[in-house]
Formats: sequence, structure tokens, C-alpha cells
Amino acid sequence: MRILVVEDDSEAAAHVSKGLREAGHVVDHALDGEVGLNMAGSGDYDAYVIDRMLPKLDGVSLLSRRRAGGDETPALFLSALGEVDDRVKGFKAGGDDYLVKPYAFPELLARVEALGRRRSQAPASVTTRYVVGDLEIDVITRTVRRAGRKIDLQPREFRLLEYLMRHAGQVVTRTMLLENVWEYHFDPQTNVIDVHISRLRAKIDKDFGTALLKTIRGAGYTIAESD
Amino acid sequence: MMLRLLRTTTFSFTIIYVFVFAIAVALLGLLFYQNTFGLMSKQTDGIVDQELVVLSEVFSDEGAGVLRRVIRERAAWRDDGLYMLIGAPSGAVLSGNLSALPPEALSAGEGFFNFTFERPRVDAAGREVGVETREARGKIRRFKPTPDAETSFLVFVARDISTREALRKRSQALMARIGAATIGLGIIIGLVFSRALLRRVDSVNRTARAIRDGNLSKRIALTGAGDEIENLAINLNAMLDQIERLMNGMKEVSDNIAHDLRSPLNRIRGRLTEALKSGPNEKEQALRSTLEDAENMITTFNALLTIARIESGEGAGSMEAVDLVAIAEEMVELYEPAAQDAGFILQLKTAPAPPVRGARSLISQALANLLDNALKYAVGGTTIRIDVRKGSEGRVLLSVLDDGPGVPEEERDSVLKRFVRLEQSRSTPGSGLGLSLVSAIARAHRGSIALGDSSAGGDMRGLKVTIAFPAFDKA
Repeated sequence: MRILVVEDDSEAAAHVSKGLREAGHVVDHALDGEVGLNMAGSGDYDAYVIDRMLPKLDGVSLLSRRRAGGDETPALFLSALGEVDDRVKGFKAGGDDYLVKPYAFPELLARVEALGRRRSQAPASVTTRYVVGDLEIDVITRTVRRAGRKIDLQPREFRLLEYLMRHAGQVVTRTMLLENVWEYHFDPQTNVIDVHISRLRAKIDKDFGTALLKTIRGAGYTIAESD
Repeated sequence: MMLRLLRTTTFSFTIIYVFVFAIAVALLGLLFYQNTFGLMSKQTDGIVDQELVVLSEVFSDEGAGVLRRVIRERAAWRDDGLYMLIGAPSGAVLSGNLSALPPEALSAGEGFFNFTFERPRVDAAGREVGVETREARGKIRRFKPTPDAETSFLVFVARDISTREALRKRSQALMARIGAATIGLGIIIGLVFSRALLRRVDSVNRTARAIRDGNLSKRIALTGAGDEIENLAINLNAMLDQIERLMNGMKEVSDNIAHDLRSPLNRIRGRLTEALKSGPNEKEQALRSTLEDAENMITTFNALLTIARIESGEGAGSMEAVDLVAIAEEMVELYEPAAQDAGFILQLKTAPAPPVRGARSLISQALANLLDNALKYAVGGTTIRIDVRKGSEGRVLLSVLDDGPGVPEEERDSVLKRFVRLEQSRSTPGSGLGLSLVSAIARAHRGSIALGDSSAGGDMRGLKVTIAFPAFDKA
């Protein structure tokens, strides 16, 4: 993926760029809003990572202008402002995701990759079946099968699996799951998500030879065919 | 003081009112005047005209001799009538009770005219005591003895109007005095009102000045009048309470940040200074510990900011009717597996309860914090229960109960404060901000939080934390 990072803190930007490059992405970096706007206009990017508070032109205005010009590149806002009102402003300006500082890098990586994936899938008709290895789910009939055997899941377990399958091969963080499956925007101190995952894992992986649902240490989870 | 009184709104309003009132009084006076004195004037003129008609008939029917006699008789009546007959062609006064024709008569022609005449003043006993000047009004008519005669008899009839005129003048003076009194009294009342109002506004001003000078605890003195100014004062005082709370909260936040972030920062500095001088193994160890410290600081910092934001009223805009039972059900669904793993049974006990005004995200967060606490501190317990039910006065109560060791009664107040953790829980991780966050969320919903004994509510022994939400319509 080609990613444009607009961030005025050069040390933080270097940290993010380095991490994204190590994960195999091409990264350009702009230090202020105006430069960011010009670079976004001249390069073909797969995702934007934009800080909300920037010199010269703030992040929300930057993205609003790009969106007004017909640019639909997915964008993630980084911000020190994390309350509901701030999020809403970010989404209204055309942001696709919102990450509050300070954040852990794996969280940012997982979210940026999820954005890129969303873009490459978007134009196709809505997918109703997802397959990973011998595990398949049907979103319409809400059925799950592994190696042809039907597996019964609770509604929430199904939504959890559906979210993981939609992001198959990508890292999904606990916060992403909490936001997208449960719609909560706070972090419980208890490892509630881990327990849900291990329940799900017991149902879809335990009786089968290979484990599809893997834990990525320090980051989150991914569902993928074993390599 | 005087100048300030004249500038008040009350005074301006009073002056406008007095002005309008004075115009109304003047109109009323004019109406009264015309309906009395105007009418009386007309009546007098009517009598004069009638007399002249009668005298004219006497003259034409009976002749000058009879007219002379009739006028003499009439002049002898002691009333307001004044008469004079001048003969033709002699020009001599034939009869009447006026000594001379008034000079105004020469220029008056056929119309009415006013004049003055003198007559002896008579005392009660009928004796003459000097001369008095009287006012009268009358008309002259000329009677020709024959159609082609060169000269005419001149008949002058008038009425003494002195009494009426005196009354009229007195009425005018009275009306002028009433007008002056109205305006004067209005101004005085205006000043009195302004002063009363100014005194009360001044009390508000004094408070505002004191607060500006730094005395934030000063409040407007209430008079107990229960009127609109009292209401304003009550509202201003409530606003000041809120401002004071926010200021204190801000101060507390900075104190807390200093308290909780300074020590780890110091620790990090010390550790890094040490690490610079030591070998690679120690360096790596130092980096790991520093990372851990940084993460803990981020958690604390986020919790502090969240509390500060909730207390400053952020999120109040997204309040709507929410069903506590639904929120509790969702939260049970999220926590149930984790609770089970930790060896607890998570129960939900609900009674039908009306919706409350709240923000789902905040209430969920409060509930999550309470469940986190229960899982962490209810050591040795087996059951955690969420309880939703109706309280008194339309309140809805949301409780989390456990059967752990509970919190001793004397420590219940202090655990609601920031960073307070009970001695025996020092070893478990946590910022010590969980309950203060819950407490802040309860306050944001105009509710209250109470710690109690879960045995009071039924079959369990342990801690019971209850958030009471106010009835929906009161919120």
C-alpha cells in the first residue's frame, strides 16, 4: 500500500513511517497541512493517516478539501481529542477511522491495513460469504461450517467471527473488535475480548487439525489459513 | 447616587408611565371642563337670547312705554340679570340696572361680549361696604320704532357670570395642581422603585466584583422574596456553584497529574540515568521497565482526562432516553465469559424500570468499571450481580453487587475519591481512578452514587455499588 502520513511531530512521524515500511508499505510524509494537501493531490495513495492538529491547515480541513475534490482515498485521523464530539467531527469531514493519541503502533497498523482492504473490496457487490481455508460463513443464512460440518454460534460470536473473516489475513486489535462488534469506545481493564476469542476458538478450531484464529502478541488477532 | 437612580431602567419606565398617565388625566380634565363650564356658558347665552326675544315681542306688540316698564321690573329682580334700555331718538337711558353702557359694547356689534362693571358690595346685613368689580356677558339689540325710522331703541341684556368664572378659575387651578401632583408623585415613586431595585442589583454586582477579585466562594444574598430577581439570584448562584466545582475539578486534575505522573517520571529519569552507565543487559531491562511505566502513565492520564471531560459536561449533548435494562444486558453479554473464567457467576436481575436520560456510552463505561472492580477485588467471591430496579421518587437504580470482602463502612466515602485504593489492594494493578470515573458519570447524569452492603439487598454479603438516576422528566 502507498500511504501518506501527515504529522507535524517529526519524531512520531518517523516512528510511524518506519513501522509501516517494515510492514511492507510505501510511506510518504508531510510535516504540515498545506504540504500534505499538495502531496495528496499529486500522488496516488491507498490510505491517508492525518493528524488533526497541523500547522497551516488542520487535518479536518485538509480532508474536507480532498473529499470536496472527489478524492475517496480512505483516511484515518490521529488526534489527541478523543471524545464523541471530536470523533463525529472527524467522520463528518470524511474520515473513515479515528485513533486517539497516545496509541500503540500495532493498533495503527491494523487499522490502516483494514482501511486499505476496505478500499480494494468496496466497488464489488456486497459479499455475503467469506471463506478462510476450510472455514466458511454465510452472512445471509448466518451459518458457519468448517470442513463441511455445521458449527452453532451465539449471535455475538457470529458477529465476532464475521468481523474477523471480513478482515482475514489482517491483524485485528482488541479495540477494533470492541468498537465494531460491541460498539463501545472505551477499554475495559478486564480481558473481556480475550475470553470471547477463546470461546470462539474452542468452537471453530478445537476439534480441527489446524488453528485458523491466531493471537498476534502485543497486537491482537488474525484469522488466516496456516502458512 | 442620585445620578445613578435617574439612569436606572425602572426610573425610565416610571417616567414614561407618568407621562402617559398625565396625558390621560389632562384628557379627562378637558372632557370634564367642556361638559360643565362649556354647557353653563351656553345656557347663559341661551337665557340672554330668550330675554331679547321676549323683549322684542313686548316692543313690537305693546310699544316703547311698556318695554320701559317691563325692563324696569326685570332689572329690579335680584338675580344675575342686567338690563339697559336707551331711548330713540333721545339717547337717554330709559330704564335698567346698569349705570353706563360698557365700552366693549361699541365694537361688539350684534354678538356676545364680556365686560366688567362695578356695583356696591353688600354685607350680610344689607349695608353697602365699598364697591366690587363683577364680570358679565351680554348682547345688544336695536329695535326700530317704525320701519323707516332713522334711530333705534337700544336694548342691552347681560348676565352676571362672576360666580361661574370664579369657579372656573378655581377648577383650572385645581386641575393644574392635580397634574403637578401626579407628575411629582410619579417621579418620587420612580425614584423609590429604582432605589429598591438598585439595592438588589447592587448586591448582585457586589458579589460579581468579589468573585472577580478572587473570592470564588462568595454568593448573592437571597432575600426570600421569591420574585424574579430572587430567581435570577438563585440561578446565578447555581451557575457560580458549577463554576466553582469546575475550577476545583481543574485544580484537582492538575494536582492529581502532578501526584500520579511526577513519581513515575522521576523513576524513569533515574532508571535511564543509571542505564546509560551500565551494560547491555541492564539497559534492556531498563527500557522494558520504562515502556511499562509509560503505558501505565498513559492509562492514568487517559482516565484523568476522561474524568475531567465528563465533569466539565462533555457528552451532555448526546443524552437521550436510554433503557438501563438493555445496557445492562449488553454488558452482561460482554463480561459473562470473562467472569466465568475468573470463577464468578454473573447474574442480571431486573425489574421493569422507566427509561432514564443518559448517554449509553457513559453508562456502559461506568458499568464496565464496576464489573472490572468486582472481578478484581471480590476475592473469594462467587457471584456478581447487576440489579436494575425502580427507586423512590421515580429514580432508577443501577447496582452492581458482589459477595467479596466488601468495603468497611468508614472507608466507603474515601474510595470514591481519586487515587484512593484500599491497603489490601495495593498489589493489584489499576489507576485508582475507576470509582471516581463512575462517580463522575453519575454526576453527569444528575444522579448519585452510593456504596453499601450487598446483604441489605438480599442473599449476598459483600460490596454493593448503586448509581441512582433521576426520573426522566426531572433530568
